[in-house]
Amino acid sequence: MTVLYTRLARAFGAEVPGLLGFLALVLVVFGIMAPNFLTAANFGSIAFQLPELGILTLAMLIPIISGGFNLAIIYTANMAGLTLAFVLNLYGGPEAGVLPFVFGSVLAIGVGAASGAVMGLVIAYIGAHPILVSLAMMIFLRGLGEFLTKGGDISGFPPYLAVLGHGSVLGVPVPLILFGVCAVVWHVLLTRTRHGFAARMIGSNIRATTYAGIHTKRTLTLIYTLSGVMCAVAGILMLARFNSVRVGHGEALLLVTVLACFLGGVDPFGGFGRVVPVVIALVVLQVLSSGLNLLGANQHLSTAVWGLFLIAVMVLRWGAGRYRQRKPGKG
Amino acid sequence: MKRTLTALLGGVALVAGLALAAAAQDKPTMGIVVKIGGIPWFNAMETGIKEKGEALGVDATMIGPTSADPALQVRAIEDLIAAGVDVIGVVPNDEAALEPVLEKARAAGIKVVAHEGPGLNNVDWDFELASAKGFGETHAELLAQKMGGKGEYAMFVGSLTVPLHNAWADAAIAYLGEKYPDMKLIGERYGVAESVDDSRKTALDLMAANPNLTGFLAFGSQGPIGAGRAIEEQRKIGAVHVLGPFSPGQGRDLVKSGAISGGFMWNPAEAGRVFVTMGKLLLDGTEIADGTEIEGLGVVHPDAAGKDIITDNLIAINADTVDGLADLGL
Repeated sequence: MTVLYTRLARAFGAEVPGLLGFLALVLVVFGIMAPNFLTAANFGSIAFQLPELGILTLAMLIPIISGGFNLAIIYTANMAGLTLAFVLNLYGGPEAGVLPFVFGSVLAIGVGAASGAVMGLVIAYIGAHPILVSLAMMIFLRGLGEFLTKGGDISGFPPYLAVLGHGSVLGVPVPLILFGVCAVVWHVLLTRTRHGFAARMIGSNIRATTYAGIHTKRTLTLIYTLSGVMCAVAGILMLARFNSVRVGHGEALLLVTVLACFLGGVDPFGGFGRVVPVVIALVVLQVLSSGLNLLGANQHLSTAVWGLFLIAVMVLRWGAGRYRQRKPGKG
Repeated sequence: MKRTLTALLGGVALVAGLALAAAAQDKPTMGIVVKIGGIPWFNAMETGIKEKGEALGVDATMIGPTSADPALQVRAIEDLIAAGVDVIGVVPNDEAALEPVLEKARAAGIKVVAHEGPGLNNVDWDFELASAKGFGETHAELLAQKMGGKGEYAMFVGSLTVPLHNAWADAAIAYLGEKYPDMKLIGERYGVAESVDDSRKTALDLMAANPNLTGFLAFGSQGPIGAGRAIEEQRKIGAVHVLGPFSPGQGRDLVKSGAISGGFMWNPAEAGRVFVTMGKLLLDGTEIADGTEIEGLGVVHPDAAGKDIITDNLIAINADTVDGLADLGL
């Protein structure tokens, strides 16, 4: 048991064993209380709901690790979705072939990257605070989107998109596969590449990073651009899931992505954070939410439980930190 | 290791403290997803759902998301499918966004009943307590009477994405354009009427910009309240008329002071009862055809192609009726 704990902790971060334990606990408690919780249908539902929130959380993760923030993720995602919807409608809406979809997706990712790059440039070269810059971008994109669509939605897409939003391959939901790929890419990027290392260093101490000879301005720009690209992926997925795009889709998810990052042990001041614990935190949040829904609990209550959960995790972390200090060498 | 243990213990306390006891599962189950939870309109609907659920022996619960975001409704419906309910009811925020998940629900053999979503395709039936045309025109006629058939008026809707509000607005504008050519619409329609603050601010701005404005027609539960407050602040009671559907308990004082001239509504508690009645009919396999009488809807003339059951069950809200309606908890 102790060996397993240290192995898990060493491989994926110190947060992982605790979070996995908590996940197991939540599963057991709901399994006992809700008669239809431990069913394939319920886990299918969880697997379909997790990815859009998950990909948005990945988009939030890298800016937070660099000591910043990206409030514009939802609207960047929806702007990218609108771009794709526009291209698809141009080629006949429901009759559009696969080629317009590929073209539209490339364009959508371009829009996401551009919106991220603009934020990154302003943050890096003008030195404005990321919260302010991304807030401004969020308001701009929201206004622009509402203006372009008159607040309405664009719908009517080719049927093959339903596979992306609701299909399964060998019993695994397609959105979940997409999320898995994104998470692996992000994990590799953060742990195995020069850029990921630079992002963490910037989060720890940007001045020291500059003195170490890293082009921090270019790295910051790249961080937000990548975040924008991930938003665009989320936007494309939301388009397929809802069969429609509107600027406001998923507004309520913004702060949940921040919650998932912090639950996953990402340092709010930047510098530390890994993908695997964040993914587990997402699963815990989704399981809590679906479980409470199955019990027929009030929706506001599940929000409250999420908040309480975050507070509990913070207290436990503080306690664990004290414990470790008293007994050096043990975790 | 100890840390894992502490985490486990803390978690036990947290979850055990907050989770609720699961209900008995032998009755047919029905989950109704509404636009947003915790506002008077849907609280009243929940009362109706509970009441009828008990009367008919259906385990019916209402799910009100924490914000009026279609993405949250999609999630709630996914969970209902997983829970294996027999009937799903929905009051959509955005019809198009719900089609894929409702298709999934029906593929899983779940009956789907909608309310305020006449454009939905993946439903068994959508029922309305007011026809879009009748509702818009009844309000328009009252506005014309209050304004004396002439002058400038402004139009609020809940949001530009709520098809039903816009259909009412279309009907009202068309009716006034035809019968009262001396009445003039200011600007386009404003999508503010789901928020008291936005409606109040917009009404103040519009009155400042258009001194000849003498009427507001607000479709959206918070619109008349906000506009009514603006009239009251500006001491324009009697000079400017505010009409629209709203929650009587919330607008009681404004109606009595004359800041809101009146409006029509249907009873959300009745809508809640009809949800359960319709769900039970679908489960029992009762066929709904032209001339079928459904409790709460009366004799219906369903549109089988569009899967719509549209009726006109309007009640007037004015200084005389508002107390009675408010006492019902509306």
